[in-house]
Amino acid sequence: MEVRTEMNFPQSRIRNFCIIAHIDHGKSTLADRLLQITNTIEARNMQEQTLDTMDIERERGITIKSVAVRIQYTAKDGHEYRLHLIDTPGHVDFAYEVSRAMAACEGALLLVDAAQGVQAQTLANAYKAIDQDLEIVPVINKVDLPNADIEGTQLQIEEVIGLNSEHAVLASAKSGLGTIDVLEAVVHRMPPPHGLVDAPLRALIFDAKYDSYRGVVVYLRVVDGHLRVGQKIKMMVMNVKYEVTEVGCFTPSMVPCKTLNTGEVGYMICNIKTLKDTKVGDTVTDVNHPAMLPLPGYKEVKPVVFCGMYPAANSDYNDLRDALEKLQLNDASFEFIADSSDALGLGFRLGFLGLLHLEIIQERLEREHNLTLVTTMPNVAYRITYTDGREEIIQKASQMPPRSELASCEEPYIEADIMVPNEYLSAVIDLCKKKRGIHVRVDYVDNTRCMAVYQMPLAEIVIDFYDKLKTYTRGYGSLEYRLIGYRPGDLVKLDILLNGDAVDALSTIVHRNNAETVGRALAAKLKSLIPRQQFEVAIQAAIGNKVVVRETVKALRKNVTAKCYGGDITRKRKLLEKQKAGKKRMKQVGSVEVPQEAFMAMLRVNAETE
Amino acid sequence: MFGIYVHIPYCRTLCPYCDFVKERTGASAPAPFVDALLKEIDAFEGPDEAGSIFFGGGTPSLLEAGDLSRILDALARRFRMAGPEITTECNPDDITPDLVRAFQDCGVNRISLGVQSLDDRVLRYLGRRHDAASALRACDQVAAVFDTWNLDLIFGAPPIDAWPETLRGVRALDPPHVAAYGLTYEAGTPFERKKSEAVDDDTALRLYQDVEAALAEYAHYEISNFAKPGHEAKHNLVYWHNEGYAGFGTGAYSFVDGIRARNHVKTEDYLRAPGAKCESLALTVEEIKVETLIQHFRLREGLPRAGYAARFGVSLEADFGPVLAALQARGWLESTETNVRPTAEGFYLNNEIGLALVDA
Repeated sequence: MEVRTEMNFPQSRIRNFCIIAHIDHGKSTLADRLLQITNTIEARNMQEQTLDTMDIERERGITIKSVAVRIQYTAKDGHEYRLHLIDTPGHVDFAYEVSRAMAACEGALLLVDAAQGVQAQTLANAYKAIDQDLEIVPVINKVDLPNADIEGTQLQIEEVIGLNSEHAVLASAKSGLGTIDVLEAVVHRMPPPHGLVDAPLRALIFDAKYDSYRGVVVYLRVVDGHLRVGQKIKMMVMNVKYEVTEVGCFTPSMVPCKTLNTGEVGYMICNIKTLKDTKVGDTVTDVNHPAMLPLPGYKEVKPVVFCGMYPAANSDYNDLRDALEKLQLNDASFEFIADSSDALGLGFRLGFLGLLHLEIIQERLEREHNLTLVTTMPNVAYRITYTDGREEIIQKASQMPPRSELASCEEPYIEADIMVPNEYLSAVIDLCKKKRGIHVRVDYVDNTRCMAVYQMPLAEIVIDFYDKLKTYTRGYGSLEYRLIGYRPGDLVKLDILLNGDAVDALSTIVHRNNAETVGRALAAKLKSLIPRQQFEVAIQAAIGNKVVVRETVKALRKNVTAKCYGGDITRKRKLLEKQKAGKKRMKQVGSVEVPQEAFMAMLRVNAETE
Repeated sequence: MFGIYVHIPYCRTLCPYCDFVKERTGASAPAPFVDALLKEIDAFEGPDEAGSIFFGGGTPSLLEAGDLSRILDALARRFRMAGPEITTECNPDDITPDLVRAFQDCGVNRISLGVQSLDDRVLRYLGRRHDAASALRACDQVAAVFDTWNLDLIFGAPPIDAWPETLRGVRALDPPHVAAYGLTYEAGTPFERKKSEAVDDDTALRLYQDVEAALAEYAHYEISNFAKPGHEAKHNLVYWHNEGYAGFGTGAYSFVDGIRARNHVKTEDYLRAPGAKCESLALTVEEIKVETLIQHFRLREGLPRAGYAARFGVSLEADFGPVLAALQARGWLESTETNVRPTAEGFYLNNEIGLALVDA
């Protein structure tokens, strides 16, 4: 591949931009069109959602890791421009990654679906972009849909977000309509990077990934100075030093070059072995000519949702640890520590940015590392104050002290912005009430829609709130939330006992008012999930020491009496092998075989009790 | 012993629970199919000696006696057989004194009657075309001519309170052999969507124990099969002993030289190339061993240690010692001087024995 040697591409013709949008408003499709029309990718190499490289991203239609592509574009003014498109994750779990990706840009395309209008994430992301001082170019997408409402959407952009939408670009990413207009707007309406060419190097890390052949690939934006091969650099927050072995840009494959100049976006490789040293938001500077101050805005991302993961077969413990270590090279935003459970044996306690993040990690562990896992019910962290004044953050229910030692238990709260068409407001209010929500206010954003602001325990949000919201509002509701700190709650531990023994992995912390209802529902759900065994299994739910419900799984006494002639013989053996594989996915808890799903039964209980 | 199975894939009406290969026909089994069968038999490559012939279906009673004769002649040309058991499955409402006599004249010496129930409501639920009265009549006509015959029953079909009366009726008919299977709601059949109507395992056990009690004078020689002395189904024992068999006709399975293979399941494919296989699986010795155990543990007598050692050249103990010991500790298997065999509970929980044996 050609190594670009040109040293001084004029800074005035560089544009760094991102696309911000509500989920499903067509961001990935627009990115695909931009790459296609500029021949960055030839049509025949085009796959849908080129920028989403992980299988899971494509299957789920979401973007998890952001990427940055260089696009060469000859504008109508005859000049060649160098555009860097920084793709940003679209889900609330990855809000910080979005903000760092934005910090690497001067401009943002605000993509709004002409049929759906401005949604909660459109708004939240637009405000983030405004905070970062980005030049925002509204793009109204899907204008060729029969139910497209261009004027209404323009009005919403003006009234809800407060942006001038007079010159909004009209586009249909699907058909390619307006793609050139988008590019011209990027070139003429967004400013070039304003960094200082002669100042000491400062480059913003906005993403990093682990490549099994090359180690850590750091995605960065050179703000001041230059980054070149052979340079000795330092990560200012982490205070680690490396020598740069390669720099380059994404086209979208990695193309090495000698230097990344002021304002450019690309990657750096310098023999970093683990992503832990590479923190999104950190600043790269030159060891010999260091900058005085790092770039602003660095924030340590902290997991908010926790769960236990255990190998279904105890002998797979080491494989799970290896897999977690490998995966953490790829995604430094989840945490894990060794943990053990009386019921499940040796395993790990993991922390995630959100439930989707959890699901993705779990899926990648099972899929890419061929592991069979038992995952326990996700929960938030609680702040415990003991009667002796000691404070502790606990990440699992079994750590909850007995009532006699407990002075208070606090749980994390969030403030949620929920945008819905007016007719669904009362449904949303109902839902929020059920989720222990505290009404803050309702803003009427225009004639048809409003935004309900609620404060709610994070625990109520992480499990299934988003799915619920979609159900309650027929898919029209959208959600954005931020953490606002710990608040006291009347929380109790709900234990599940199997044949008289409490199973730590099935304990949960719930609000006292819901405890009995949840206990009953959980016991009933477990009864339906735990298969009949050679002996009777008693399932009890207990709050404190008080058993509130008992269910019984009767002993297995008879298998199906089916025929077994010629062709049935091999079919029977294969069926048995399949059943056996299913049994292996079960966890032996004491003498009881418990299927994996049982440990997540709470999720389904929540779904069914409403 | 080597067995011969002939599949007649035609029925007047299709029973909604049945997952055998079959199709509807208005009349007798068609001539082109019989011709294809003859061709397949003539071309068969494998053992030359056999001890049993079983016509299954579908509905073998839709065969014209002449066709049945031609098929038996072809089998006699191809295989050496000394006094083979020759069974034909029959639908009760096909049975007439003439048909019974004609089948006997062809050489058939055993009839298996698909009675299933002696309650009209149950028979309607099962979608059978006969009623209890015609079933009783058919049994009498068969019993008048054949020394040995089988009565098929299905338990677990609603209304289940009809079951004791059906069993009383069966006792009165006094068949030499009874097969009683639990109703299964198989995928791909119209009954698949009725799965929720299946009885729970407590009820299934009760119904099954009712059969055991009603047929206490019979030898309960296989999980689902009961026989008076000397009336065991020789052909089915081939399967339960996991021995070899040839399968002729649409979708029929054969097990020859460790290869389990299946004929084409679509009539047009079968007619185009009789005997051509749509699946063929060469079993490993380990797989054959496991299947041999699973099959034998369906039998009251279980597995003779000497027979296993003679067949595989290694002792049963050396291959399966620990798992058999565990299953005995569980109370599902027991050891006699010569055999390892299932207990009464082992009959009830046969699937659990199988589960322990696969990848033991």
